[in-house]
Amino acid sequence: MNKILLFFITILFSLNAYAVTNVTFWHMEGVPHRVDRIQTLIDEFNSANPDINVTQEVQNWGEIYAKAPASVAAGTAPEILVGIPDFTPILADMGAAQPVEDFVAELDSKYGFYQKALDQYTYNGHTWAVPLWNMGLSLWYRKSDFEAAGIEPPKTWSDLKKAAKALTKDGVYGIGLPGNKQLYTDQTIYSFMVNSGAEEIYNSDGTLRFDNPQTVAAYDVYKELYQYSAPDAANWTWGEAEACFASKGCAMILQFTVISTYDSQAGGDASDLGVIQIPHANGKAHRAGTVSYVNSAMIMTADEAKMEASKKFLSFLMEPGNYGRFINMEPGLFLPITEAGSKDSTYWDDPVVVKYKSQVETMLDNSTRGSLFGFTNGNTFTSISSISAQNLLAQTLQLTLIDGKSAKDAVSEGMEIMTEAIE
Amino acid sequence: MIKENNIKLIFLSLSLLLIILIFFFPFFWIITSSFKSPEEIIATSTTIIPRSFTLEHYNKILFNSDFFIYLKNSLIVSFSSMIISIILSVSAAYGLHKLKFYGNKFVEYSLLVTYAFPGVILLVPIYLLFAKVNLLNSYFALIVVNVLFATPFAVWMLKAFFKLIPNEIEEAAYIDGASRYIVISRIIVPLAAPGIASVAIFCFIISWTEYLFASILISGDDLKTLPVGLAGIVGQYQIDWGFLLSGAVLASLPVILLFIFIGKYFVSGLTEGAVK
Repeated sequence: MNKILLFFITILFSLNAYAVTNVTFWHMEGVPHRVDRIQTLIDEFNSANPDINVTQEVQNWGEIYAKAPASVAAGTAPEILVGIPDFTPILADMGAAQPVEDFVAELDSKYGFYQKALDQYTYNGHTWAVPLWNMGLSLWYRKSDFEAAGIEPPKTWSDLKKAAKALTKDGVYGIGLPGNKQLYTDQTIYSFMVNSGAEEIYNSDGTLRFDNPQTVAAYDVYKELYQYSAPDAANWTWGEAEACFASKGCAMILQFTVISTYDSQAGGDASDLGVIQIPHANGKAHRAGTVSYVNSAMIMTADEAKMEASKKFLSFLMEPGNYGRFINMEPGLFLPITEAGSKDSTYWDDPVVVKYKSQVETMLDNSTRGSLFGFTNGNTFTSISSISAQNLLAQTLQLTLIDGKSAKDAVSEGMEIMTEAIE
Repeated sequence: MIKENNIKLIFLSLSLLLIILIFFFPFFWIITSSFKSPEEIIATSTTIIPRSFTLEHYNKILFNSDFFIYLKNSLIVSFSSMIISIILSVSAAYGLHKLKFYGNKFVEYSLLVTYAFPGVILLVPIYLLFAKVNLLNSYFALIVVNVLFATPFAVWMLKAFFKLIPNEIEEAAYIDGASRYIVISRIIVPLAAPGIASVAIFCFIISWTEYLFASILISGDDLKTLPVGLAGIVGQYQIDWGFLLSGAVLASLPVILLFIFIGKYFVSGLTEGAVK
């Protein structure tokens, strides 16, 4: 009898030893070559860790804001979810995103996260996600256009206005700036706000400080520059701006990257492609910065085994040798978020990165000074999701670009709209 | 009189031409642009007839993406939804038209109300419901949703067609001893074929183009339908315009083929002369 019992216990333990922990990885990078690159890394991880099985499921950005909370409520959430900062507070509030400060500290000690990257996920005493890669807006131009016009690339807003005016000729728009009520416009106007010292939109008590002279100055200069943009810019998203630049319809644009399109559709002369940090308000060089989006991975399970497996997989992705290949799923778009990642040879060895090395270096440098509205200096409140989800920065901009109000009035009205939205 | 007729004819022809231009030009432009080189697609000087010719976008979408998987999924979901919707709507429309029962009108108008309900409000409740009954990530989930959204209006459309069928035909059949089943299957359905064809196309298009629920209820790549799959692979920050255009052309083809196939049933005046 005892022997039979022992036999069953042995079988049970053996089965347990071979139990596989399943980890579902949701991300929104559905372009086929990105999916392939992620799959390659997953396959390598799974074969090195037979006790864990990671599978990827591609979602769409448009629906993930509804789908992820619904999946949490239904108990079908993935173990790992890639997201951006304004998504995290919602899931943290629901108790779905798990605090990961200890794990992030462990990775930080090994690879050294850029502080600004951690800022976007650290509030309420916790770190809510593992930063994966960064994206920061820069100003893109063609060096030959500036040489032909006899001007230097702009450093200040005055320089930028002069350049936009000088480059607007023969059917070319001096600068392509969006006016759509959409995320891209949020990003472009916020990059001007950062450069005038208006990067904080919250006070430390959670009230808004959006309506201030620095914000008005940013909206004002945007309005001035908008006259040199294309007439259809009121409907632009990232793709249209990039197409305008690639086709030489726009002399300058603010964009995360143009490298891929420039290379495949605009001749690909790397020596002529210029990129600089976004010009700052006159006399505010110390404020120079940009908007940056740190994409991250939230761990969505409290199950210990699944959490450990998820951490193991994320550690694997962050490891130099894997990390460069991971973020080079789209070379020249996703930027390293750690010191070690910035030196990873697998990042710099990619043919596209080799060809556009100086541009990538500038992008990387700009991105380390990036901020995001609502995620600065620990003044982060869940209500930011209401502002970003409704694109209220862009809506305020439309009050001046389309409705013709002064920047001062538009910002004042925008403040009212935002206050109402967060109440 | 002849002169007046000629003016009318010219006016009608011009109007027709204008309508054709307005409706077909965008589609024509999408088709021609899908064969242009990437540089020409985004060029500031727009071309209607391509200066360049390339199949690279089609090559990319057909052989470097999961297009055929998405196509298969869309065909399964759309045809299943269409068939089920037709069966349900024919039965319901005939019942509402012929059977006099208490609450007949109430049921009829309730159907319209359900159609007027914005689907997006039901998104999360349906997700939670399907999660409970373990239906997420299945064709069946999409078929149920498509049938739910297509059937109410299909019932109304078919009811209007049934009204056009003279009662005398049915009565004659009953006198000859036909059962209700025989009357419906051998008389009503063949006579209402143009209406059923219209409803079939309507249901198919509703299912074929449905995006919102398909993107929420399905998570795995192997079950994604064309609209969801294509939206994912086009990209957010960097749009591959050639990919987008060739995808739009390929995604439209099955609908066009269906129109060609079912078009023959659009025979006007089918019932003409049935009763003297």
